[in-house]
Amino acid sequence: MSGRRDRRTTVLSVLAVGLPLVLSLVALNVGAYRIPPKAVFTTVAEAVFPGGDGPGPSPYADILFRVRLPRLLLALFAGAALAVSGASLQALFRNPLVFEFSLGISNGAAFGAALSIVFLGRGFPPQPAAFVFALLAVLLVVAIAGRSASQVVTILLGGVIVSALFQALLSLVEVFANPYALQSLVFWLMGSLGQATWSDLAVTLPVIGVGVAVLILMRWRLNVLSLGEEEARSLGLDTTRDKIAVIALAALVTAAATAVMGVVSWVGLIVPHLVRMAVGADNRKVVPLSAGYGAALLLLADTVARGAAPFEIPVGILTSVVGIPFFIVLLKKSGRIWL
Amino acid sequence: MKVRVEGLKFSYGAFSLRVPSLAFAEGRVAALVGPNGAGKSTFLKCLASVLPPGRGTVFFDGHDVAGIAGRERARLVGYVPQEPGLTFNYSVLDFVLTGRAAFIPIFSSPARRDDEAAREALRFVGLEDFGPRPVFELSSGERRLVLIARTLAQQSAVLLLDEPTTFLDPRHETEVMELVKRLAVETGKTVVVSLHALDMALKFADDMVFMKRGAVVAAGRPDDILDEALLRSVYDIPMGLRDVDGRRIVVR
Amino acid sequence: MKPARTARTAGLLAGIALAVLRFPAPAGAAGQVPAPTTVVDSLNRSVSVPGKIGRIISLEPEITRIIVALGAGDRLVGIDYFLRHHDHLFPLVFPEGLKLPVVSNQAQDISVEEAVRLRPDVVFASPSEFRMAESIERKLQVPVVALASMGRFAGLLGEIGTLGQILGREERAAELVGYFQEQLRALDRADSSDPPGRRPSVYLAFWNSLIRTPVSYEPVDAAGGRNAASGVLPEYLGAAGATISIETLIAWDPEVILVQGNYPPTERRVSVGTVLRDPRLASLRAVRSGRVHYTFGFWYWWDPALVLVETVYLSGLLRPGAPAGPGLVATGNSIFEEFYGVEGAFSALCRILDCHEWTAR
Repeated sequence: MSGRRDRRTTVLSVLAVGLPLVLSLVALNVGAYRIPPKAVFTTVAEAVFPGGDGPGPSPYADILFRVRLPRLLLALFAGAALAVSGASLQALFRNPLVFEFSLGISNGAAFGAALSIVFLGRGFPPQPAAFVFALLAVLLVVAIAGRSASQVVTILLGGVIVSALFQALLSLVEVFANPYALQSLVFWLMGSLGQATWSDLAVTLPVIGVGVAVLILMRWRLNVLSLGEEEARSLGLDTTRDKIAVIALAALVTAAATAVMGVVSWVGLIVPHLVRMAVGADNRKVVPLSAGYGAALLLLADTVARGAAPFEIPVGILTSVVGIPFFIVLLKKSGRIWL
Repeated sequence: MKVRVEGLKFSYGAFSLRVPSLAFAEGRVAALVGPNGAGKSTFLKCLASVLPPGRGTVFFDGHDVAGIAGRERARLVGYVPQEPGLTFNYSVLDFVLTGRAAFIPIFSSPARRDDEAAREALRFVGLEDFGPRPVFELSSGERRLVLIARTLAQQSAVLLLDEPTTFLDPRHETEVMELVKRLAVETGKTVVVSLHALDMALKFADDMVFMKRGAVVAAGRPDDILDEALLRSVYDIPMGLRDVDGRRIVVR
Repeated sequence: MKPARTARTAGLLAGIALAVLRFPAPAGAAGQVPAPTTVVDSLNRSVSVPGKIGRIISLEPEITRIIVALGAGDRLVGIDYFLRHHDHLFPLVFPEGLKLPVVSNQAQDISVEEAVRLRPDVVFASPSEFRMAESIERKLQVPVVALASMGRFAGLLGEIGTLGQILGREERAAELVGYFQEQLRALDRADSSDPPGRRPSVYLAFWNSLIRTPVSYEPVDAAGGRNAASGVLPEYLGAAGATISIETLIAWDPEVILVQGNYPPTERRVSVGTVLRDPRLASLRAVRSGRVHYTFGFWYWWDPALVLVETVYLSGLLRPGAPAGPGLVATGNSIFEEFYGVEGAFSALCRILDCHEWTAR
C-alpha cells in the first residue's frame, strides 16, 4: 500500500509541474484573435532569441506578450497563491473547510482594494490597502470564534459574519463612489483576470512569489501546527509567532491576487482537498502539490472564461459554480472527519 | 534529569493549584493520583510549560524552566496528552515525526536522523510496522502508544503522561504501564504519570503524589506514605489496603 | 418584454394620442376633472394613472429629462440620486431641479418615507428594476409606471408620447417627436448618397472602460456606422453592455473607436489619449489612422436632446464626405433650445466636457 502511494505521489508531483506548463502552452494559443500555432512558436522564439531583422511589429507579438502572457502568469501565480494559502490555513485552523474566502480574507482584501481605488485613485497600487484589510478580517474572525476556533462550524460562522461585514462596507463604498469609478469597480469585484496589466503585475507577481515560496518552506511546520495549540507548544514551538506568520503570509498572497483580479474563490478549498485525497495529509506533499494544481486550475478556468464566448465570463463565477456544490458535499461529510 | 518544583501556584476561575515543594528523580516512575478535579492534569501541564504557571518555579537539573526557550525546553521535557488532536489522517510515521519539531528549524523538513528517531520510537513501543498506517484506523490502545512514541521521538529526559490508561481495556492498560516502567528503567528518564486507577499506580509507581483539590496531600514512596487513613482523606470514601500474593492492593 | 414590441406599442399609443389631439375638447370639459387613463408601460403592465397629475416622482433620469422637455418640470417633486448629484447636463437645462429632494440612491432603492412625504400622484421608475416597480406600488399605494427607451429611438419616441399622454402634454410631445424624426430624416438623406456596404466598423468603449461596450447603439447605426460588437449578445437586450476581452477588440480591428466622454475629464480612466498610447492596441487600424474620438454615450439611458446631437455629430465623423451644415455647436445649441427652451446649453456642456478637443484633430 505504501509503495502504491509513493508511486502515486511521484506521478502527481510530475504532473503538478507538467500540467501548468502544458496549460500555459494551450493558453498561449487560445484567444479571440486567431494565431496559428506555428506563428505562436516563431513569435516566441524570436522574442527569446532576437534574430536579425524579423518582420515588422505584428499584432501577434502584441497579443502574445501584452495580452495573453500577463494574463497567463497572473492565473498561474494567483492560482498557486490561493491553493497554498488554503492548504496552510486548513492546517493552521485544523479545519478542512477553511480557506481564504471562508475566513473573510477575500472580502476584506476586496474592500481594502476598493477603498484604495475609489479614494486614492488608480495611480496608487491597491495591494497595501488590500493586505491591511485582509489581515483585519482574519483578526476579526479569530476574535469572534474565540477558543473554539478549531471547531468546524464556529470559525465558518465567524468567516460568514466578517465576509458579510466587508460586503456591507463595500456597498457603502459604492454609495459614496461616483458612478464613473463605480462601473469598473463592480465588474472587477466579480473576478476577472482581464484587467491586469504588466504594471499591476510588477507588484503582484513578486509578492505572491515570495509569499508562496515561504509558505512552501514552512510546509513541515504546518504538520506540527495542525496538532493544535497545546500540543504544538509542548513540542517546543512558539505557536504565536508561527501562527501569525502563516496567517500573515496567507493574507498577503491572497490580498495581492485579489487586488488585481477581484474575488475569485473556492480554489483554496477545492485544490488542497483533492490533493489530500490523493496523497494523504502530510503537508510536505500537500502544500507544493497544491501550488502546482492551483496554478493549473485557475489557468484552466480563466482560459475557459475568455475562450468560451466573445464576451468575458467573470472567472469568479466559474470557480463558484464548481466550488459551491463541492463545499456543500464537504460540509455534509465534515461530521465524519475523513481527511 | 532531576525535576524540582518550588512554590508553584496556578489558578483559573475558582480552581487553584498550589504545590509548595516537590521533586522527581530520574530513572523512576512517579504517579500523580487523586480524585477528579484534583489538579493532576493542570499540574502536569504546568510542568510541561503548556500552561504558564502563575507563580513559582520549576527547575530542571537546577535550571529554571521559565528561562529556557521553547525548542530547548521541548528537548528536556515531553508531554503526552490524554487525547491526541487528530484532524488530519496522517500516517503513523508522519505523526510520530512531528515529535521532532524541536530539532527542525522553521523552514526545514525532517532529515535522516529525524526519520530514524521516529522509527526508533515506534520500535520501542512495539509498533515498528505501523509506519504507513493512517492514524484514524488505529484502535484507541494503539493510538495511545503512537502518542507515546511521538513524545519519545523528542528524546527528552523528562516524560510527563496525562492519564495514559483512561478508556483502555485491562490488557492495554497493562501494556502501556509496562512501557512506561521500561522507559524509566531502561532509559533513565524521569517519568511522571497521572492516573486515576490506583491499582495501576500501586503496581508500577516508584513514587506517589496524592493530590486533592489543587493541593498535595502526601508524596513519597508508597511503602512510606500509604495507609487507609490517607486513602480515605483523599477519596472521601472508606478504602481498605490488603496484601495479596505479596502485593498491596486497594479495596473499596 | 421585447423593446421592439414595446416600441411599436408605445408608438401606437403615441399615434392614438396624436389622433385624439386632432379633435377639439368638448365644450365644458375644461371645468371637469379628467378621467383616469390607462397606459401600458415598458414592462407590459397596464397601469391606471389619474387624469390630472400634479406631483411627480421620477426615479429614472431619462424620464425626468423628458418631463422637463415636455414643459412639465414644475410638477416634479422628487428625483433620483444620479441626476441631482452627478449629471452635469441637468443643471444646465433645469436649474430648479437642483432643489428637488432625492428619493432614490445609487442602488436604486427608494426611500419610502421620503416618497410618502412628497405625496406623489405617480411614480416613474426604471423597468430594469423589475421587482422594484411592483414593490414601490405596494409600499406607496401610488401608480408606478416603468419606462425606458432601452437604447432604441423607437422606444424613446414612444416614451415621449406616453409621457405626453399621461401628463396632458400631448401637443408638446408630438412636437418633439416630429422634430426628432425630422432631424433623423435629414441625416438619412445624406446617407442615401453613399454606396451601401461602406459603413465603417465602429467600436464603442463606454462606461469608463476599454472592454465594456453596448452591443447595439442606434446613433451609430443612424449615423452610417456599423457597431463592431453587434451580435455578441442577443438582439433583444438592446443597448445592454457586454464585457469583452482585449483580444476580441484586437480581433475585430474596428476602423473607428469611440470613447465615451460624457463625464468630466478628471474622472476618465479611459480617454482618447490612453487608447492611442496603449501598446496593446498599436496594431489597430483605428489607432494607426488616428480615428479614435470621443462621443457622448449614456449613463442611465438618454437625454433626448443630447442623443440627437450625438447622432448629428457622429454623422459628421463617420461620413466625412457629407455636405457641411452649420457647425456642431450651433446645431447642438438649437436642438437644446428646441427641447428645453434654454439658450447656449450645448456650449456650456462642451465647456465642461472639453468638447473642443473632440473634433479638433
